[in-house]
Amino acid sequence: MGPWNGIRVVDLTGLSAAYGTRLMAALGAEVIKVESPEGDVVRRFEPYAPGVEEPEASLWWAFLAAGKKSVVLDTGTPEGHAQLAALLASADVVFDDAPPADQDRPGTGHRAVRAANPAVTWVAITPFGLTGPHRDWLSSDLVAWASCGLAYTIGFPGEPPLAPAAPVQLAMHYTAINAAIAAMLALRARRRIGRGQLVDLSIQETMLSMAPETGVPLYLDDQVPRPRAGNRRPVTSPFGLFPCQDGHVAILALQPNHWQAMARWIADVTGNEGVLDDVFDDIAVRHEAAEAVDMWTEELTTSATKLELFVEGQRRGIPITPVNTVADLRADPHLAQAGWWRDENHPVLGPVQVPGAPFLVSHEWWAWSVAPTLGQHTDEVLEQLG
Amino acid sequence: MDGRETMDEEDLRALSGLRAFELSVAVAAPSAGRYLAYHGADVIKVESRVNPDVARLFGSAWARTEELAPVFYDTSPYLPEMSAGKRSIGLELKDADSLGAARTLLARSDVFLSNYTAEALARLGFGYDDLRAVNPGLIYVVMPGFGAEPSLPYYPFRAFGPNQAPLVGLDALTGYAGQEPAGIATVAPPDYVAGMHAFVAILSALEHRDATGEGSEIIVSQMETTVSLLGPYLIDHALTGRTPEANGNRLAWAAPCGIYPCSGHDRHVAITVDDDQAWQALVDLLGGELAEPALASLDARQAAHDRIDALITEWTSTVSPAEAASRLQAAGVAAYEVLDHRGVLADPQIRDRHFYDVKPSTRFGRDLFSGHPLRMSDTPAHVDWAGPNMGEHTREVLGDLAGLSEAEIDALIEREAAFTDRQPELRLQRPFDMWYESLGFVDDGEES
Repeated sequence: MGPWNGIRVVDLTGLSAAYGTRLMAALGAEVIKVESPEGDVVRRFEPYAPGVEEPEASLWWAFLAAGKKSVVLDTGTPEGHAQLAALLASADVVFDDAPPADQDRPGTGHRAVRAANPAVTWVAITPFGLTGPHRDWLSSDLVAWASCGLAYTIGFPGEPPLAPAAPVQLAMHYTAINAAIAAMLALRARRRIGRGQLVDLSIQETMLSMAPETGVPLYLDDQVPRPRAGNRRPVTSPFGLFPCQDGHVAILALQPNHWQAMARWIADVTGNEGVLDDVFDDIAVRHEAAEAVDMWTEELTTSATKLELFVEGQRRGIPITPVNTVADLRADPHLAQAGWWRDENHPVLGPVQVPGAPFLVSHEWWAWSVAPTLGQHTDEVLEQLG
Repeated sequence: MDGRETMDEEDLRALSGLRAFELSVAVAAPSAGRYLAYHGADVIKVESRVNPDVARLFGSAWARTEELAPVFYDTSPYLPEMSAGKRSIGLELKDADSLGAARTLLARSDVFLSNYTAEALARLGFGYDDLRAVNPGLIYVVMPGFGAEPSLPYYPFRAFGPNQAPLVGLDALTGYAGQEPAGIATVAPPDYVAGMHAFVAILSALEHRDATGEGSEIIVSQMETTVSLLGPYLIDHALTGRTPEANGNRLAWAAPCGIYPCSGHDRHVAITVDDDQAWQALVDLLGGELAEPALASLDARQAAHDRIDALITEWTSTVSPAEAASRLQAAGVAAYEVLDHRGVLADPQIRDRHFYDVKPSTRFGRDLFSGHPLRMSDTPAHVDWAGPNMGEHTREVLGDLAGLSEAEIDALIEREAAFTDRQPELRLQRPFDMWYESLGFVDDGEES
């Protein structure tokens, strides 16, 4: 049984808490996803399962809503509004992504709910926070990457900046994990202070906390702008993606022992003995000589496939990895042998292999269950509220 | 400002009273450790001069002088980013007595947090069974790249965040359609994602321990942790065999979505039209060909995405990114300037909320680092000092917590099995130290 068993979570958000409440559900919490009669926004996200009708077809929903309860409320009606107020007052934690101006709405906002039940922790997830000149601005995954300085640095020179892995929506997931963390901290603190609290979570700030590389302290210290540099990182060499016979590999040689193993490998394969000169042991020297070091590295990588380079490079103690696709990952021998995948007999999707636990623990915590259909738990939850 | 004054009598933060032993490198484990520190735990970062943390190796460009060589490892701006509020002790664990002291510290800790490789931990005798024998209630969190089971194919492999991202499929999804992958060289999301999962695991294990008295062994295998975030696409491949490909900044469920050039050199604005309502707002703002009724549906906008992008660019290229974002937001469209470093420094929102933190620093008097994103009303997070000097707290920790005498500590230092910070009296200044006030960073007035 997961450690958050007995905790009731109400998730009013779309994507911005979804991954975090997925984790909480799998770790024992009762997570109630409130949906409008049309269904949650995540149900609109492709890819869709073939042969399944909307609103149950989205695989984003299948993944993110796993283990949650779906309660449909029409909060535009007085009855729906009262039901939502009662539900929120029964919660230990509420996640809400309403705009800051609406977070304190009458009856179902944080002030009203915390007045009705001071034990509730309210996690307000907003694009830019509850205060400040941009508090009413809208956001998205892409906007979040833009607003923290990271998008500017990703992509090729002369081409527009890029969000990392746009289809994955990493900024939203990272925010969601942070939101779950805030809730867990507040639940722990509640035992000391006897009440819940209000958490002001700005998506821009959660992303800034992932962005020291482009943050103010680093920039003020060295005054070096960090323009987009393509798929190599201009801090030393080799550091980045290198072409090989069937795609790319990623190499990162920072520490002296990693570089020395890399130099030996280059020398063994290409016959280039100059690379072994110990002047290159200094990462700053390799930075200055990056053009040459990159070229020597490419002479090696273009001689083999990504799998060959991965296995041989790792054998030599070098942090090198293949640039994998989703298909590569589904065939990956490590994930398979680790028993990571879970076979699920899904009531909507049928038998399907799904991702396993994101970490392992020496107790029977993880409880995985499927995503609910629209409104599947409405009656059950409302009856219990009375 | 941060509530510390009122909290001094009794620190009610969620993790006050807890102690963590952090044996770490770079970002993955330190990023979890910094959350521990912000929420009140005593985090002891164990450091080695033989194999220094890569966060220290970078040092600072201006400190690459012969004169500053001895203290170079204290100058990295990455250090306060990852380790503000932690205590640093210098301990070479290859020495049997140092290892013994570490085990004593572990007996008095609640959390063991490490992203050393599984093999390195095994060599040190820091496997879970070893440490559980020392401390049965220990919350043991390791973050190997590829699991902790020696029979697994990648078990002995090594990878840092920047090459975990390509491994788990993120780099292949970063780039423009049909081009070579752009990758994510600048930042390593897997480090941070794994760090946050480790922190979720720690908080969960504390609940478990409070309820049962039991410790926990937690393995945050970075590959499995990060690949989890591709969930919808992994399930799709299992059902249909489809593999997603990089397609710039575009999304299947929102169009237009992209980054558009503005006036000025290399200036851009990011725009996402989430739904039909936002599309109407964009049409009302820009008009022209965008107002064609045929573009009212998502499918039509996806099909015409290139043309729509060109029409949006006609407008954005005539205005500054700040103006573009302001006008789009006023109309009801999600947008922001694509901030570069100067833009982050000047951003009115970041400044208004005082995201960046200034705290006392032994080496610099005061130092600047990223603040904490979880703003909790009743138990606010804070740290009280910036990144520690390397080995700054060796004597106090080995003396007070490990119970070593001065003579025993001296003996360890004499044979380089332990070390304290070099030239602790040497006070340096960041090149921007004189700008703290004019740049408006809030200073709590604690530095001398």
